[in-house]
This record gives sequence, structure tokens and C-alpha cells, in this order.
Amino acid sequence: MAMITLNGKSIEVDEGLPLVEVIKDQGITITNLCYIDGLEPYAGCRTCIVEIEEARPTEIQLACTSKTADGMVIRTETEAVKHTRQGVMSMILANHPDRCLTCHRRVHCMPGDICLRDDVVTHRCLTCSKNYRCELQTSCEIVDMGEFSEPWVGESRSYYETPPPEPDRGNPYLEFDPQMCIICTRCVRACDDLRHTGALTLSGKGHSTMIAFGTGGQIHESDCDFCGACIDVCPTATLMEKPNKWRGLAEDWTNSACNGCSVGCTLSYGTANDQPVIVRPDRINPVSRDQICVRGRFGYTDVPERERLIRSLIRNGDRLLPADNFDQALDIAATSLATVKESAGADAIAVLGSPLATTEEAYVLGRLAREAIGTEHIDFSHGPLHRAVTEAFVSGLGTDQLPANLTDIEKARTIVVIGGDIEESHQVVSLRVKDAVKKHGAKLILISNRWSELVPFSEQWLQPFPGQEAATAQALADGLSSSTTHIPDTAVENTADAIATLRLAIANAESNIPVILAPTAGHGAVRAGGEAIAAVNLSIAIHSSEAAHNLYYLPTDANVIGLTDAGIVPGSTENDFPNIIEKAKNGTIKALVLHNDNPLLNTPGTPDIESALANLEVLIVIDSLKSTATQHATVVLAELPFHAKDGTLTSADRRIIRQRPAGAPQGDEREGIAILTALARALGTPINYNSAADVMRDISSSVVGYVPYDELTRSPGKIRALVESESTTAQQLPAPTVSTIPPVSDGLAIITGRSLFTSWAAASIHSDEADKLHREESALVHPQDAESVGIRNGDQAILASMANAGSELRIRIRLDDGISPGSIYIPHYYDGGALMRLMPLTSSAEPTTLMLQAMQPA
Amino acid sequence: MPLETEARAELRALVADFAPNDGQLMAALHRVQHRYGYISREALEVVAEQLEMFPAHVYGAASFYDEFRLEPPASTTIRWCSGPACRLENGNGIRDAMLAVLGFDDLGERTDDGRIEMVNGQCNGTCEQAPLVWVERPFEHERRVVGKLTAAEAIRITREIRDGESIDGGHETVF
Ligand code: SF4
Ligand code: SF4
Ligand code: SF4
Ligand code: SF4
Ligand code: FES
Ligand code: FES
Repeated sequence: MAMITLNGKSIEVDEGLPLVEVIKDQGITITNLCYIDGLEPYAGCRTCIVEIEEARPTEIQLACTSKTADGMVIRTETEAVKHTRQGVMSMILANHPDRCLTCHRRVHCMPGDICLRDDVVTHRCLTCSKNYRCELQTSCEIVDMGEFSEPWVGESRSYYETPPPEPDRGNPYLEFDPQMCIICTRCVRACDDLRHTGALTLSGKGHSTMIAFGTGGQIHESDCDFCGACIDVCPTATLMEKPNKWRGLAEDWTNSACNGCSVGCTLSYGTANDQPVIVRPDRINPVSRDQICVRGRFGYTDVPERERLIRSLIRNGDRLLPADNFDQALDIAATSLATVKESAGADAIAVLGSPLATTEEAYVLGRLAREAIGTEHIDFSHGPLHRAVTEAFVSGLGTDQLPANLTDIEKARTIVVIGGDIEESHQVVSLRVKDAVKKHGAKLILISNRWSELVPFSEQWLQPFPGQEAATAQALADGLSSSTTHIPDTAVENTADAIATLRLAIANAESNIPVILAPTAGHGAVRAGGEAIAAVNLSIAIHSSEAAHNLYYLPTDANVIGLTDAGIVPGSTENDFPNIIEKAKNGTIKALVLHNDNPLLNTPGTPDIESALANLEVLIVIDSLKSTATQHATVVLAELPFHAKDGTLTSADRRIIRQRPAGAPQGDEREGIAILTALARALGTPINYNSAADVMRDISSSVVGYVPYDELTRSPGKIRALVESESTTAQQLPAPTVSTIPPVSDGLAIITGRSLFTSWAAASIHSDEADKLHREESALVHPQDAESVGIRNGDQAILASMANAGSELRIRIRLDDGISPGSIYIPHYYDGGALMRLMPLTSSAEPTTLMLQAMQPA
Repeated sequence: MPLETEARAELRALVADFAPNDGQLMAALHRVQHRYGYISREALEVVAEQLEMFPAHVYGAASFYDEFRLEPPASTTIRWCSGPACRLENGNGIRDAMLAVLGFDDLGERTDDGRIEMVNGQCNGTCEQAPLVWVERPFEHERRVVGKLTAAEAIRITREIRDGESIDGGHETVF
């Protein structure tokens, strides 16, 4: 502890803290244009000048490089400090386009006015996209630049002597206009030290120094992931979000959640005119803190305004037409469900929920199904996959409520990741893995069937052939359990080294060795279950009785855990998703209530699912967009989009994250809860909730681990839906059944996965703009396989299904040696989930294969 | 994952003996430039991979030094010495005269046909020849010091280069 005197006030602080942070914490305004909280000081801008008594060689010191020490006396507002800051600021402004920042007359000038110093007021903050939310602008106010006697009155500022550098507007996310740049390098350090992406650099030297991306080309040609961490720290209008560059001035901020994946990052939505206009990370979540990914930052812009479903729809022959009003649509929905129930019984009705919805909606949906309809046919399209995973947890560890805490990952020294490319699917967890590698030299063992951005961070990359992931993880478990170091010949390369890495970690008594499991939804339930068994065994082999505390499960979609906790589980296997589809196909199920999901996009087996939907007598869809599934609907009830909803999500590590509405309803949109309760009432069952908070009160009294909103508000992002039982078992499971590697004559084994840039919502409505960067519009094929069928890089090809006769897909081929020969990677969301058409509804341990054919015979 | 092409494999072999964290970035860049006359984007990426650096950081370093070329060179490069001794001997006048003959506004420009460029150079200690330029033909690995220039000589030589004649005078060094 140190006693310091700050502007005459004595305070007690920790010794050795960056002084600038202490000053800010005390609520004192100080300019600090190059400092990023928590990172090493750069000491480039010199605007954080303060006076420190008896400091040497001069009392004028930088607050960012000074560290608190006992007896320190600091003054932030003396004449000398102020004058020096102004001097420094005027140097910065010499190469900045706004001369009004230094003009004492600027309050008198409006845009378009004739200025007394210049000719026309053109270059000034009033015409800049960052006006009123710009740190440089505020900093000029703080140091009173208007009263500073400028050295360049009648000036020629260097800014006006050279032509402005070219902006980069070549991508849909990030605009870069370097004429505003003050070379504070915050962006470079954010990208390096906060993201470990290293897409930015200082280029050139002297007066021509500039920020550059990658190897000097356009942003989208660099390694940039468009996470926007650089935008968050840029003190000027140089780096800006593209979609909201000119309208990102928020009137209000709402703390909320991202439903882009199961990490459950907290977001802060800036709203204006009752619509979201900008997103910033919200630090209250200890997992995501000040970081999010491109999906969180831009997710709310995925569905173009014209595609948003703001009125309920009713079927009229071949067409879906807008209802007169909500009540009319509701009435038709209720009557048609009642008719089916009357004629064919409640069991002829099925209900499908969605991991993209809130837990509260899921709870009400469950009640609607059981109480108002009376069916046990309740599931969601990833239900079988999720249960295959959790069953492994229950049998091996005695619980599916894994207490492992995602905040531990960045502190680990050894990490195992099993499954897909988490850099694309769960980017903020991937970031924490990188944190561990970069900050603590952690050793990463990666089991993944294709190259990913994490590979360069890994100590050992084990690349199993598709279908062999579980066997590869199991080989590690077996290797650790046996006393010999014999590795079977069939083991993939690096297995022995990975075992050695783990042995060393165990020998060093490391207690925090995360085993992270991220099964790929498109690979089906059987393979996910096998991977889960192997992950359980591996965690037990490493941690014995502490296995559950170190095993992480990352479901693909956001709220899988909340959804199942809230009761979206089938009465029995007979009632699960594949059975619902089969029964709808054969006519036993006649009606379906589909909330917020599109099984045509989510799961393999499109031909079966399509004929099931087409065969239904009644399909009630509750959603915020017109998806490929709503095309089969009897009635579509228009629901709020996720960002406008109230409720909670339960993240991968069971954190209950509050989602608060950002933006008002449009047209006749309703809250999901309001729609579901209205439907229940119309069916004659009084389920009454006024708000999501009401629902949560019920959930918290019946589901262990859940608490009412006031408790969540008291410790946001920290409460986990978890009953930590004292005695978690740790029981090795029989090794999972795995496939053999199919012979080449059986075609190429499919690898798929969630890609970073393709939006779920836009893919679901089959929008051309779903993949805004057009990066996911090709299939990756190994050069060897391409050559054998005469396909060159960039060629169009036909992928013919072997599972579903007649189904095929046309796609451009990109050669890539990051996958094994004999396999092919196709993004899950490509062309509205077109790949799902080539895969069978029922999953197996074998990878699905397809035939690759050149468009013209070679 | 960037596809392994023949060009990449060749680059990889060229820098294969450099190790990460060994302070060898400059040496690797020099070697690439020596072989190809410039450092391509692809080369920056391969060097980055070999030294376990981010490509952007390699680019940042390469772009700091005027001596590194990031574009294929012209067949003839006039490298003008910007050092102090040359400046004292009217180096700036020589520069302006040569620029004018070539129709350039500034250093770093290239003729429309891409044949000739004039770039900034740094003193390498041959100051007894001040004011000087180096006339380089990178594809022939040839560099010639042309020194003790007067404005008239500078104009004559530049015209000869422009008109494709071989120039007389100067000391040739093969590099
Ligand atoms: S970047 Fe900031 S200071 Fe500069 S012109 Fe824009 S608003 Fe004004
Ligand atoms: S958006 Fe993210 S990845 Fe891209 S340059 Fe900025 S910080 Fe780096
Ligand atoms: S782009 Fe922004 S953050 Fe980066 S150096 Fe320029 S002003 Fe600073
Ligand atoms: S990591 Fe997941 S939760 Fe976080 S911002 Fe990205 S998509 Fe959203
Ligand atoms: S914040 Fe201290 S020098 Fe920039
Ligand atoms: S100053 Fe030109 S060679 Fe030294």
C-alpha cells in the first residue's frame, strides 16, 4: 500500500500501479491518447503529463509510465502542466484535419459558414463521423486548445501540405481513413496484445509513418478478423465500424448479451431513435471482458431492414400474406392446433425450441407444449447431439453440470482442445487460449481435422482423419493411463509428443489443464458423443477426481444449456427430433410449433426435414424473419429479433447472462413470451407472465441454480447455474466406437463447421449477403484429390451426395493443404445450409462422404 | 491455410536456415531481395512464418528501410545519395536536374514504361565521390557509382539512361 497525494487529496492505493489509471479511477479527467488500460505504456503521445513533486530530472512527468509509490505528491492541473499539454497537443494537431479544434472562435461557426481564419468551414469535427464521440476532440476540450496561443497562426500546417492518404473502404466491417490518424499505435497494440492477431503495423518512417494492415494491402487481405478491438481503442475517426460509421452516436446504452455462440459475451448496445446503432464490449462478463468477435459487434445488422418480419403472416393457398393483425393470426394458429388435437390427439403435435432464444422463452414454450398442448414431442434440432454429449458426462462424471470455469483457461500452462476450429466458432474462448500461450507460454495440444488459426499457437497439432477425432483423444487418455509409452501404429502424428507434453504437465503438478470440447454440430450426434466420451476419459486420465472441474464443453449455439435447463427435452427418445421428423413424414405427427429455429439450416438431412415440414397439416412458426422453414408455415407469428428481447442466456460455463432489449418493436412484433402465453391462453390454458422477470421467478423456484433478476443484476456475469455436488465421480468410460477410414473409392469425407463471418440469421433467410466477406463461398479440397479429378484452384465443381441420392451441390473449389487428402471442407452455412442436403438425418460414427466431380469432364 | 505453391516452396528453401527469435529478420529480407530484386507479399509471409512473426510486423520492418523494395524493381534504378557530403556538393541540384529529365515530381517515381526509376539512397561512405548517384541494373546484379557530378553531367547521363544508351564513366561493382 502507498499513500499518495493527488491534487492535495491524500489517498491510499496499491504500490506500483500505473499512475494514469489511478488518476482516472479517482474521477480526475486526464488526456492519455496513447495509453490502453492494462497494457504496457507506450509513452508516445505525451498528453498525460502531470507534475510529480521532486521527480527527477524534471517534475514534469508522464502519468502512464510513472508508478505509484509511497509519499508521491502529484498535481494534474498546474499552469506548467496545462501549458505543456497544450504544446504537445498542438504538435499532434499539426497533422490532423481539424483546425477548428484549436480555434477560440469555433463556437460561432456552423457547417458551411465562412470562417474568419480560413475560407470555408469544411474540415472540422462537425463534418466528421466521430463528432461528439471522439477522444481526440474531448482531449482538446480538456486541455483548452481554444485558448492556446497557437504557434501556427497564419500557418501552413503540415496536414495541408501533402495529399491525404487513401482510405480503405473495401470490406463490410471496418473503415480505415488514415488522414485522421495521430499514430498513437493503440490499434497496433490492441491487435497484438489484446487479440494476438498482429494484423496491424506501423509502416514507413518519419513523416510518412502510417498504420498499415498485413503486408501493406487492403484490410481484408490481411489476417484481420474484424473483431473491432482496434476500433474500440482508436481515439480518432481513423478506424470505424462501417455499418454505423455515420450513425453510431448513441443516445443511450443497454447492457446485453450476444447469441452468436455459447461463449455468451456481454455487449453494450448503443441506441438512437430506439434502434441499436453501435455495439461495444461490456466488461462485466469476466470471460469476455473488453473483447468480443465480429459476430457480436455486427450481429444486429445481419438481417437487412426489409427482411425483418414485422407483421404476422397467414397462409392463403400458395402464399403467405400479412395478417390483418396479431389477434387474427393467433386465432388461426390456436384454432388449427386445437383441430389437430381434437382429431388426432395431443401426441400428433410436436414442439421445437431453439438455442438462439432466451431461457425464459424456452421455459414458456415447454409449458405451452406440456400444459396447453399436452405433448411429449418436445425437442430442438441439436437436441440429440447435446444429449449424446451430456450423457457421456453423466456416466463418466456423475453430472452434466460441469463446474469448469472459462476464466481459468487464460491462466493454464497446458491446454487440450478437441473438435472444430474454435477460432471461428467460439472466438473469445480461442482468444483466452491464445492469451495463455502468449502470456504464460502455455502448451496447446490441438485435435482438429483441419488447419485453423490456432495451429501456429499450438505445441502439437494432431490431425485425425474426419471421424477419428474421438479415437485420437482416446489415444491420449490411453497413453497417459498406461505405464508404457507404446503408441499404436494407427495413432496420428504427434500423439507421442502430446502424451509427453501432458505427462510433463502432470509431473509438474499443474492442476489447471483445461480439456476443451467443441463438437461440430454438422458432424452429427454419434461423433459428438464419441468425442465427449474421449474427452471425459482424457480429463480423468489427467485430473482423476478433479476431471469435471477441468472439462469444458462449448455447444455450437448460444443457449443450448439454458434451453435444456428450462425443459426443452423430449419425454423419451421416441419423442426426439429425428423421430419427430420421421413421424411428420409418415403422418403420425400432423402439427408442429417451431420457435425461433430453422432445422433446414441447422441439421443434416434436409430432404427428410423438408418432406416432413411439407407433409404437416399445421406448421406454426414463431420467428423474427422469413426463413426457408417459414415457407411451409400455416401461420407465422412475428417475434422480436434477439437484440430487442428481454431475458437471459446460459453460456457454455453455465453463466447466466442477462439480455436486455436494445431497440423498440417495429410493426406488430411481439415479445416471444407474449406470443407463447397468448397461444397457450387461446388454447384454453391460462399461462400468464407479464415479463421475462416473471418467468425467471418461476424458473428459479423450480430449476436449481437459477436466480431472480435482482440477484443477477447484483453480480452480473458471475452467477452460474450450477449445483456443485461434493462428490463428482470420475469413472473411465469404455472407449468410444469409431469408424474406419473410408477407402478413396467411397468419395471424400465431409468436414464442416461454423464459420466466423457467415451470419446464422442471414443464412437462414437465404440472403445473398449472408457471407459478407465472400470468404466461405468455396469448398476446400486437398490438391492431390483435386488433381485426380482434374480440378484446378477456383474451378466450379459438383458435389454429389452419397447418402441422399440425387442431391448435389455446385460450389467453387479452393485448394488447401490444411485438410487431409481424402477429405473436403464445406462451410455449414454455405448457401443457406446447402451442405445439409447432402447428409443423412440419422447420424453415425462414419464420416459422411460425397463425390467430387468436375463441371466439365477434364 | 496458405497453399504450398512452387514459389512458396522456393522461398521457404531460401530462408530455411533462419530461426525464430534470432534477430535475423534483416538478414532474411536482404537475402530475398538479393535473389529476386525485391520482396514480394508472398515473401513477407514466408519470412514471417519462418521467423514465427506476424506478416504485418515483417512488413512494418521492411517498409521502414528505403533500401528494401516491395515492388519488382525497374530495369534501371538511379539511387540518389541523400547523405550530407553529397548535399554539401549540390546533391539537391543534381537530384532536381535528374528528376526534371525523367519528368518526375519526386523520388520514388517510375517512368510509364516501368523501365527507369529514381529512388532515395543513403550514404555508404564513398563520400570522396560526392555528389553521386548509383546506377543499378538489378537484373544484371550490377551497380555503378557515378560520382563527382555536375548538373550538366547529371543531365547528360540521365538522358542516356532514358534513351537506352549505355552510359560511360563511373566505377562498376558487381553485387
Ligand atoms: S477525428 Fe475527432 S478530432 Fe478529428 S475531426 Fe474527427 S471528431 Fe474531430
Ligand atoms: S479488427 Fe481486430 S483483428 Fe482486425 S486489425 Fe482490428 S484488432 Fe486486429
Ligand atoms: S488508427 Fe487510431 S488507434 Fe491507430 S494509430 Fe491511428 S489514431 Fe491511433
Ligand atoms: S465469441 Fe461468441 S458470444 Fe462472443 S461475441 Fe463472438 S459470437 Fe458472440
Ligand atoms: S498516455 Fe502517456 S504518453 Fe500517451
Ligand atoms: S554523402 Fe553521399 S556518399 Fe556519403
